[in-house]
Amino acid sequence: MEQLIQELKEHLIEELNLEEITPEDIDAEAPLFGDGLGLDSIDALEIILILEKYYGVKLANSAEAKPVFQSVKTLAEYIMKNRG
Amino acid sequence: MADKRINIYIGATSMRTCLGDKAKTLAAMNNSESGLKFAAGFGMHVGQSDVKPIDGYTRFEAMLIEQLDNVLEGAKIALSNKDVLLVISTTKGNIGLLSGNSDDILEKTFIYTSAQVIANRYNAANNPIVISNACISGVSAFVVAKELLQRGEYRHVVIVGGDALCEFITSGFASFKSISPQPCRPYDAERDGLTLGEAAGAVILTTDAELAEKPYIRLAGGAVSNDANHISGPSRTGDGLYFAISNAMNEAALTNDDIGFVNTHGTATRYNDEMESKAVAWAKLDDKPTNSLKGYIGHTLGASGVVEAIACIEELKQGEIFGTKGYTSTDTPFELKLSANIQPIARKCCVKTASGFGGCNAAIVLDMMERESVPQEENRTSRLVAEYRLPDSEQPFAEFIRSEFKSFGDSNMKFYKMSDMSKGLYVAVERLLAIEGLEEIEQTRRAIVLANRSASLDADIVHQQILDKHLPEGASPAAFVYTLANVAAGEMCIRHKIQGDNTFFIENEDSGLAEMYARNLIEKNRADAVICGWCEYLKGKWNINIKLFKNN
Repeated sequence: MEQLIQELKEHLIEELNLEEITPEDIDAEAPLFGDGLGLDSIDALEIILILEKYYGVKLANSAEAKPVFQSVKTLAEYIMKNRG
Repeated sequence: MADKRINIYIGATSMRTCLGDKAKTLAAMNNSESGLKFAAGFGMHVGQSDVKPIDGYTRFEAMLIEQLDNVLEGAKIALSNKDVLLVISTTKGNIGLLSGNSDDILEKTFIYTSAQVIANRYNAANNPIVISNACISGVSAFVVAKELLQRGEYRHVVIVGGDALCEFITSGFASFKSISPQPCRPYDAERDGLTLGEAAGAVILTTDAELAEKPYIRLAGGAVSNDANHISGPSRTGDGLYFAISNAMNEAALTNDDIGFVNTHGTATRYNDEMESKAVAWAKLDDKPTNSLKGYIGHTLGASGVVEAIACIEELKQGEIFGTKGYTSTDTPFELKLSANIQPIARKCCVKTASGFGGCNAAIVLDMMERESVPQEENRTSRLVAEYRLPDSEQPFAEFIRSEFKSFGDSNMKFYKMSDMSKGLYVAVERLLAIEGLEEIEQTRRAIVLANRSASLDADIVHQQILDKHLPEGASPAAFVYTLANVAAGEMCIRHKIQGDNTFFIENEDSGLAEMYARNLIEKNRADAVICGWCEYLKGKWNINIKLFKNN
């Protein structure tokens, strides 16, 4: 799980162009959206692509996405549960 | 020029949509028939036009030429006359010709090259004006045409708008998860996204009543605004669109009592329709019959404002408006007066709106009530207060712009996500406004008018390269959103709270059009401060040269 969280942070930084941010700067349990990382609705769509591209995990709809997108930790938990 | 009263009348009109030519399109709308069908090639429902190929021209050009031929045939107006201007509205022109190899950019993927090819066919006396303002382009074309006709340089404008569907476009909207699995259902509680369509339309605008179509319909007002909220998501308050509607109605000197109906953009995405319901209610037009035509012909991008305005013109003449195909009942925050069936109208005057990526909104007022336009205010002057050119650099752009940005000590996380053109403009506008700022200017009185040659080709290549990889997860919305030149202006609107006009022109070289248009906005009392100029970025080379004008 720890390793997955670390890897996920690296993917987020790379794919969402979070320059100046290191994995250590991202608190795995802090809210993903909001002030901290300045993420928005386009980033949410990009995170759906990250889940599919690196983990083969699909998010069916945005209603499902909300609890999954709480934090890096909830993303990692969702991947663990759903990856084939 | 104290009392300068210029009436702008509608002349000949023509269109082709997925339902056929103008007569067939209108008949189908009257009968509540949709032209949207599943297209296996795109993997989605679309409204595809039946385009007659013309030798030596692309599909996009053939679409526009057919419409121009229709309106110009037998007209007393010819593009070869010095007092006639061609205004072209398109979001992507010949983008279907683009390859992911950036060393191999075909000349015709430059929108202006294609525009000149079209203009040359008619021996146009003037260089055409090209507007590429995302999904408001068509309505924006009416606003620009109106401004230029009021200046008196031209007596007639021929507007033509169109976009040809291709994978570049469909894949991008799919990446935004904004495509409905069914034909779209504007405003309906069950709506789940838009359907793309393909169309072209042309309209003659004339200041000469003799050449107008009867009964007279006037373009009585028009305005462009920006949400200054987000580059892809509509405003959550509807304020931007409300400003466009109210400015257009103010120019026409009409109140909500005078308006017979509203034809909205009505794309059928959850947030667009929600936003529009707020804006229309805020403008106190929520008791007026309202419709969206997207359920018949889809979202036809650069054509939408033109072909839907033509439908409005016919609806005014008919005294009733088409139903909103796919609508049964709504869940939008404010309930608009929508119906799947034809609705009668009490006043022969309407508001047509559009909203698009980059946070832009536009509204026009079309009036059949035999009124006259109000005299234009022209006693204001515009003053150059600051000027800035992004310097050349020995460094590669990425390094150069990063060090420039870092020198501001700015912690805006969004910067690194922007397209290179947007980054260049961002830094240039920071420097420009450091010379003189916008603090004292009310947000709705701030405007931005830009022009360039390549539109968003640099960002287009990024999107095309992703498409060329044929990834199972599809295209990147973060890349696609920048494939509209005006999104760079939209970024500035967010950053500097610019809620007034935001117009993006495409030209071969800087003719001074953006500056002229910017100064015109101040002189006609549409804005108090305008950032304007040339904003070009392609393949690591830039030319960003901007000015700030204010009212004296």
